[in-house]
Amino acid sequence: MKKKVLLMGKSGSGKTSMRSIIFANYIARDTRRLGATIDVEHSNVRFLGNLVLNLWDCGGQEVFMENYIAAQRDHIFRNVEVLIYVFDVESREYERDMHYFQSCIDAILQNSKDARIFCLIHKMDLVQEEQRDLVFQERETDIKRRSAPLGITAFGTSIWDETLYKAWSSIVYSLIPNVRHLEAHLDSFCSICEADEVVLFERTTFLVISHSTHKEHADIHRFEKVSNIIKQFKLSCSKSQAQFQCMEVRADDFAVFIDVLTPNTYVMVVMSDPTIQSAATLINIAAARSHFHRIEQGQIAR
Amino acid sequence: MLKPKAIAQVLAQVNTAGVKATLLLNPDGSLISFAGWSEREARVLAAVASNVWFAYERHGRPAGSEVINEDGKESLQDLILECEAGKLCVSRASKMLLCLVADEETEWGLLKAKVIGNNGYAFVRHPT
Repeated sequence: MKKKVLLMGKSGSGKTSMRSIIFANYIARDTRRLGATIDVEHSNVRFLGNLVLNLWDCGGQEVFMENYIAAQRDHIFRNVEVLIYVFDVESREYERDMHYFQSCIDAILQNSKDARIFCLIHKMDLVQEEQRDLVFQERETDIKRRSAPLGITAFGTSIWDETLYKAWSSIVYSLIPNVRHLEAHLDSFCSICEADEVVLFERTTFLVISHSTHKEHADIHRFEKVSNIIKQFKLSCSKSQAQFQCMEVRADDFAVFIDVLTPNTYVMVVMSDPTIQSAATLINIAAARSHFHRIEQGQIAR
Repeated sequence: MLKPKAIAQVLAQVNTAGVKATLLLNPDGSLISFAGWSEREARVLAAVASNVWFAYERHGRPAGSEVINEDGKESLQDLILECEAGKLCVSRASKMLLCLVADEETEWGLLKAKVIGNNGYAFVRHPT
């Protein structure tokens, strides 16, 4: 199943940077080396076995934008499943950005009106911390007003913290066809293991696909933080010619296991019962592997 | 799949009539679950038991013996040792090892019967 994902926005707003961080193993500071994208860069990202994201990274300089909206209109905006529009929060040409955004919305409305639209208000790290919520809400309402009648979902993001992972996880979550089914199985896995929480990550991007929580946790950003940390750890492993395989963290009152589940996913199991031995959980993860592999390939009916 | 708490309860039921501790361990010596004793002691015992088991399996395999397990290979099934301060019984339970520690007064037959009884549990036979 191939899904066309358009990545658009003004030149220099950070489209290629975020794509490189999420899909191409860049770390945030390496994105300074990226140059401007010329025309459209296509990339295919295999995600969860049968789902392939066909990512169109559209260069944002005005010549190109005009070209997309006029000459290549059909070519670009046909069969779009997801439009991700990136705004630079610090942009000085607010009205002009909005003008292009509205032209894109128009084109989507004409060519693929069922597409889901996500707006990322990017570079939020440049806004002072106490003002972030306010600025974000202001922008969100404005974008929502301008994009009517199409509904949009907005996120405030930054490549320097976990917000980027949160936004992309939500985007990817909305694309996975059998996610409810997957969630139900994850839930029963969680109760058999007697775990507090089980989280499923995509293997290469470490985006959160699904989770099952049996014991609430105070920090609502914990998944994105874990994604961010483990991804960086994985990258530093590969620098020393080692492959990240699995990890176990054990303290007095909890134990966390991060391990491969299927060829496309990692699982994180959080246990808070200190009497349950590591080996028992590892056996359970190993036993669950083939089952989840079959679910992923769609062999277990809904 | 293993239900960790249920297994601990089943193992605890074995600890009667002179049996002091019951352990379920991986062949590599890592502890899966146990009942009786402290965790520290159990870990040490698990390591020792797996070591003894493999020493016997490697070196004590009788030449030309007829013992065949489910994999079609001949291998050790049970191991009962008399030690200075008690008796130790290790037995193959599916891909894992079941280990019982009893005091000197416990009879051999009782120890063996307990192992067979415990191995009869579905969870040990089919842990998948």
